[in-house]
Amino acid sequence: MILVGIAYNTLVVAAGVAAVGFAAGVVGALCVLRKRALVGDAAAHATLVGVACSFLITGRRDLATLLAGALVAAFVGLGTLVLMRRFTRTRDDAATAIVIGVSFGLGIALVSGLPAWGYAESAGLEQFLLGHTAGLTASDAALLAGVAVLAVAAVAAGLKEATLVAFDAAFAAASGWPVAVIDYLLVALVAVMVVAGLPAVGAVLVTALVVIPPVTARYWTERVGSMLVLSGCLGLAAAVVGVAVSAGRPGLATGPLVVLAAAAFFTVSFLFAPRRGWIAQRLAAARMSREWLQDRAEHARDPGGMPPAMFPDGEPHP
Amino acid sequence: MTPSVAHVPIVEFHDVTVAYGRRPVVWNVDLAIDAPCLFGIIGPNGAGKSTLLKAALGLVPMVGGSVRFFGAPLDRVRSRVGYVPQRETVDWDFPVNVMDVVLMGTYGRLGWFRRPGGHERRLAAESLDRVGLADMADRQIGKLSGGQQQRVFLARALAQQADIYLLDEPMAGVDVRSQESIFRVLAELKREGRLVIVVHHDLRTAAQWFDRVALVDRRLVATGPTAATLTPENLNRTYAGQIEVLDELARAVAARGRTP
Repeated sequence: MILVGIAYNTLVVAAGVAAVGFAAGVVGALCVLRKRALVGDAAAHATLVGVACSFLITGRRDLATLLAGALVAAFVGLGTLVLMRRFTRTRDDAATAIVIGVSFGLGIALVSGLPAWGYAESAGLEQFLLGHTAGLTASDAALLAGVAVLAVAAVAAGLKEATLVAFDAAFAAASGWPVAVIDYLLVALVAVMVVAGLPAVGAVLVTALVVIPPVTARYWTERVGSMLVLSGCLGLAAAVVGVAVSAGRPGLATGPLVVLAAAAFFTVSFLFAPRRGWIAQRLAAARMSREWLQDRAEHARDPGGMPPAMFPDGEPHP
Repeated sequence: MTPSVAHVPIVEFHDVTVAYGRRPVVWNVDLAIDAPCLFGIIGPNGAGKSTLLKAALGLVPMVGGSVRFFGAPLDRVRSRVGYVPQRETVDWDFPVNVMDVVLMGTYGRLGWFRRPGGHERRLAAESLDRVGLADMADRQIGKLSGGQQQRVFLARALAQQADIYLLDEPMAGVDVRSQESIFRVLAELKREGRLVIVVHHDLRTAAQWFDRVALVDRRLVATGPTAATLTPENLNRTYAGQIEVLDELARAVAARGRTP
């Protein structure tokens, strides 16, 4: 009976984490298309402060309480980023690096300092560093899955607006769309998914779940809609692999396994994807060069002739 | 050019001044356009032509001044103003096809959360047809030539069904055939009674295509009917110091004169 219970719990947790992986991939795809890949990283590194403060203030260590604190901290971190961008002359990349470094340092100081200051029951908070699914309960998993469903629903509702802003923000603004508001909503959604990914993947690595699946998906598709779905599926698969492998080996953190799985998908795509993959690109370049040389040999071309606007791309012409 | 019946100008720039940091890039521009026409904003690189357009659209903040469309601030007449940004401002490797981009022109009228339907798709298809890209609807946008990409942007603006069109350097990096096709569409828009304002850097084609021009070098140097405005004297004041440019331009303008 106990064995069945454990297996059941593992399955429920895996399902919850899988839902988070899917939603992180979907939200992350919009974020990458908007060229804001590092925003998630800033939010993620700020979460540890929130986890520690939440514990300090409430004295509780259930998942919902800790994650609520993490979300607040993520928003504070992102708010700092926005303020630095607006009121100091710090460049975007430098501002992001500063927020990541400072908030993470503060988080680590708090989490590692708590036991020394007499908060013995704070042990375990450091699991938010690298992710650890073994301690999750079925109700934790249900919470995470609920957040994931809401995030995907939000993307489905605002896909038209988000795509418009990601592709051409100036045009969107000129046609009256509140580009800043749409950007803030997107960044908030990223923060929510980063926080939802914390228990499974951890603060250091969770951004990989928001960035690697979208970049991988882009290799296989030329449309936003299919890119989002594929990115979600890749995130889901990476999450499941991570949970499954770490479940069999107590003490092995889930986060690194999730990231390694995502990286494996990326490597395969980068090499073997049709058209956009590295091998396909090399073959296409070689073919173009060969066809051109052949063409030139057959028709002795006027060397001063005008080049065409573009090389034919090898598709059959009607 | 028929005189306008209305007393309110279609577009009115009043004392527009824009600065990047403390450096003024547009200075005290007063400009009113009363009747539908093809209107060129001409000037050297860095003269603030694009900035003037962006200020009119609220994309860059003005230090002072105002721009009114049909006598109203932009926010009240957004759906009547179409915009074609510079082609290099977007990532052409973005995962959308030609039809997706043109449909974006209909989003403004659709509003929040409503998806384009049959009506919008027909409108987008017609717009694509007008710029001669009807058979490219399913192409990924990165597989188009520069001229085709610019025509996709024009089609997206056509799908906005606006009464005023603002185009930012639509001929930059565009082959001659695409240029002619774009100008033909712009001339059609004018005949339909719409005002078309084009930021443009090539004086030879400017003399050929525009009804009226404004010569801009941070401040407004001269404005009026093209032939009367593109005089050697005005050009000299606009392109001050750029001797080679001036020589070439003077010859080009003299040779072309004004074609209706």
